[in-house]
Amino acid sequence: MSIKVENLSYIYMKDTVFEHKALDDVSFEIKDGEFLGLIGHTGSGKSTLIQHLNGLMKPTSGKVFIDEDDINSKTTVKKTIRERVGLVFQYPEHQLFEETVFRDVAYGPKNLGLDDNEIENRVRFALDMVKLDYNEIKDISPFDLSGGQKRRVAIAGVLAMKPKILILDEPTAGLDPRGRDEILGEIKELHETHKITVILVSHSMEDIAKLVDKIIVMNKGKIVFIDKPSVIFRESLMLESIGLGVPQATKLARELKEKGLDIGECLSIEDAKLQILKVLRSKKND
Amino acid sequence: MTNMIKTESVKHEYTSHTGKSIMALNGIDISIEKGEFVAILGHNGSGKSTLAKHFNALLLPNSGTIMVKNIDTKNEEMLWEIRQIAGMVFQNPDNQIVATIVEEDVAFGPENLAVESKEIRKRVDEALKAVDMYEYRKHGPHLLSGGQKQRIAIAGIIAMKPECIILDEPTAMLDPSGRKEVIDTIMKLNQEEGITIVLITHYMDEAVNADRVYVMEDGMLVMDGTPKDVFSQVEKMKSLGLDVPQVTEICHELRKEGIKLPADILTVEEMVVELCRLK
Amino acid sequence: MIKDITIGQYIPADTPVHNLDPRSKIIITFVFITALFLVNTFFGYIYILAFMGIALGLSKISPKYLFRGLKPLVFIIVLTAILNIFMTEGEIIYKLWKLTITKEGLIQAAFMCIRLVFLITGASLLTLTTSPIALTDGIEKLLNPFKKIGVPAHELAMMMTIALRFIPTLLEETDKIMKAQMARGADFESGNMIARAKAMVPLLVPLFISAFRRADELAMAMEARCYRGGDKRTRMKQLKFEMRDIYASIITIAFGGLIIWSRF
Ligand SMILES: Nc1ncnc2c1ncn2[C@@H]1O[C@H](COP(=O)(O)OP(=O)(O)OP(=O)(O)O)[C@@H](O)[C@H]1O
Ligand SMILES: Nc1ncnc2c1ncn2[C@@H]1O[C@H](COP(=O)(O)OP(=O)(O)OP(=O)(O)O)[C@@H](O)[C@H]1O
Ligand SMILES: [Mg+2]
Ligand SMILES: [Mg+2]
Repeated sequence: MSIKVENLSYIYMKDTVFEHKALDDVSFEIKDGEFLGLIGHTGSGKSTLIQHLNGLMKPTSGKVFIDEDDINSKTTVKKTIRERVGLVFQYPEHQLFEETVFRDVAYGPKNLGLDDNEIENRVRFALDMVKLDYNEIKDISPFDLSGGQKRRVAIAGVLAMKPKILILDEPTAGLDPRGRDEILGEIKELHETHKITVILVSHSMEDIAKLVDKIIVMNKGKIVFIDKPSVIFRESLMLESIGLGVPQATKLARELKEKGLDIGECLSIEDAKLQILKVLRSKKND
Repeated sequence: MTNMIKTESVKHEYTSHTGKSIMALNGIDISIEKGEFVAILGHNGSGKSTLAKHFNALLLPNSGTIMVKNIDTKNEEMLWEIRQIAGMVFQNPDNQIVATIVEEDVAFGPENLAVESKEIRKRVDEALKAVDMYEYRKHGPHLLSGGQKQRIAIAGIIAMKPECIILDEPTAMLDPSGRKEVIDTIMKLNQEEGITIVLITHYMDEAVNADRVYVMEDGMLVMDGTPKDVFSQVEKMKSLGLDVPQVTEICHELRKEGIKLPADILTVEEMVVELCRLK
Repeated sequence: MIKDITIGQYIPADTPVHNLDPRSKIIITFVFITALFLVNTFFGYIYILAFMGIALGLSKISPKYLFRGLKPLVFIIVLTAILNIFMTEGEIIYKLWKLTITKEGLIQAAFMCIRLVFLITGASLLTLTTSPIALTDGIEKLLNPFKKIGVPAHELAMMMTIALRFIPTLLEETDKIMKAQMARGADFESGNMIARAKAMVPLLVPLFISAFRRADELAMAMEARCYRGGDKRTRMKQLKFEMRDIYASIITIAFGGLIIWSRF
């Protein structure tokens, strides 16, 4: 499923002294099956933008298309958009409310009007995707779970809608390193096995570099860059000037290159290891 | 050297509402020196926050003792002295700001300590300058960024003239620039004012600056040492559900391939120097 | 939507009105409102207008901003007008089926609406120029004499401060949870009363949990900052009557006198 955004602008508290333009003439396109990263400093408009992609916010001007459907036209039913575009908010565990994990995850499918059989299938599927054991966990109260498990249940609540496009707003905030890697791994797997289009908002350049195919960089409500990670992270000075950075591995490669080592671009630990080994070994053979 | 905080076999047990009991701290012996910058790491639920709350008598141990500047935290008469000596900053900036104006919030602590009003004014101004937020003194806190709010929270503690500040994941909800603001502020307070810092965090790169790193697991301290000692044990850190800085891991991988590098590289700069030497 | 309400949002500035002791301002507002209800002729409103004008001019708040605060309350004003127009008996000037418009009705409606507008703008001038903290401080101090008869002055003031502090946070939170549930297909807008009430559960449960968590964390943070009730506390900003408070009092007394005199 594809997303097309045309000249989107949004102004908070229009016509008051607090008026603030959070999105300023934003246009881009995302193809079916892409894994996209959205980065930008605090207040650059990331959360505002993603809420426009499933119709939770109405543009001040501009249009949003999901598979050619203008989501804000009168003929489009909002529910079908929200079924297609799943949105996981920051700290999603704060939205849990049911007495059991099963019922909480089933809330979305129920709203879609599915029958009980299908609802159960969906809950199984969703809990499975976030690596929670259905039989073990379904009757437990979500409030008795650990932080990482709560986060997973909340994400499952969105996955149970079987969205074709999944948007996550900083899904790993507050988790320890292992929890972080596990959740990101599950998202990656979902993308690969189910061919879901994923948009990931994150402040961690390391995670973005490791996972995504394409990056959108935002600054003050505008898109300043859309490109492959290898291209974006080449611009470390520009990124720093707008309050962002590059992964440590990339920084290392850049500084080594400045010292005259023949090292190409690196985005991950693995890249850096191979590149450095290559350089060191070729020196030895001289 | 004098002790700031010293604990002896501290145990703490919670009873959850289902009646199950959880040993959140299971025999902690730690001694933190005056002026030290200590980082505490550990996965979710390992007991870090529980330990931190023992350092200023927000929680009392089931057994064992905690001495803050040689005052036993069980001594109820000294409760307010202890809390004045050891201030605490929490994770969520929104839930620790009391007042609707920045300077009023910073004044909250000294007001509770019955400091005289002229002196409070002076302390508030100094504290706001120390965290570089003086120009925001008349603002409403809800209009500030996360990093700015956390600095206000730190100013609120500094105005109480503490000797030690305990920060429980102060950067967890912030973006990279907000995190940097907070960490720079902490480092400055440690180096220039000599305030003892206890920093709890999930970000390994923040712990790199500490004098000493402790790692917790299931209510116990399982590792301690300088950042170099601790982070050079890459496999062990990973087995504890933690991480190491990316360069340290690259270095570790290269060493496995037989490249002769020191194990304890923590920064990009060190790594560049070492690799250039090999070349 | 909820955030568009500007009534009562403090605008910091350095003007004689802002700098007045909150106690003076509370008492002046009190006198002003009493006077407003004492006025019984249109001519009497001139004094009110003059008083308001002086206060507004000194406070440097733009009249436009003040009047925008009326927006959410337009409904109440219109309702007052309509009720007065149609319910007052007297000389009929227009008749539509059973509804009659009388001359007295029109006059009465205009009179009441002006009173309402002055009431709202007067009260919002107080909150626009007084920080919530100062306001609660003022209330605390004014209530202090009643402590002896069991009025918990400090606790009331503290509760008000915290409520004011957390209103924006909780509004934001409500908005966020609502959107999160809408993203899961929730529908808060359609259906009958029962269906709508039911649809609120997924909003209210997380909201309560979050409010309790916040309260818990805030209590912990306050304790960590040595809060132990109001007894031994000192204050950074001590309330002090100054010359300007005396001037303001004189003007207010003169104003009150004028109003009473105008009734005869
Ligand atoms: N409800 C609101 N009312 C007024 N202004 C708002 C509101 N929500 C956001 N803003 C403003 O709009 C801008 C963009 O906010 P947004 O939340 O989209 O940023 P973000 O990129 O998601 O930031 P973060 O990384 O902190 O999540 C910010 O300047 C913010 O202050
Ligand atoms: N008030 C409480 N009642 C019952 N159990 C609790 C309470 N607070 C914490 N626990 C439990 O005690 C253990 C230690 O919790 P603690 O909050 O100290 O961990 P932590 O290391 O700070 O974790 P995190 O990284 O998630 O903040 C956990 O198993 C937790 O579930
Ligand atoms: Mg955001
Ligand atoms: Mg904790």
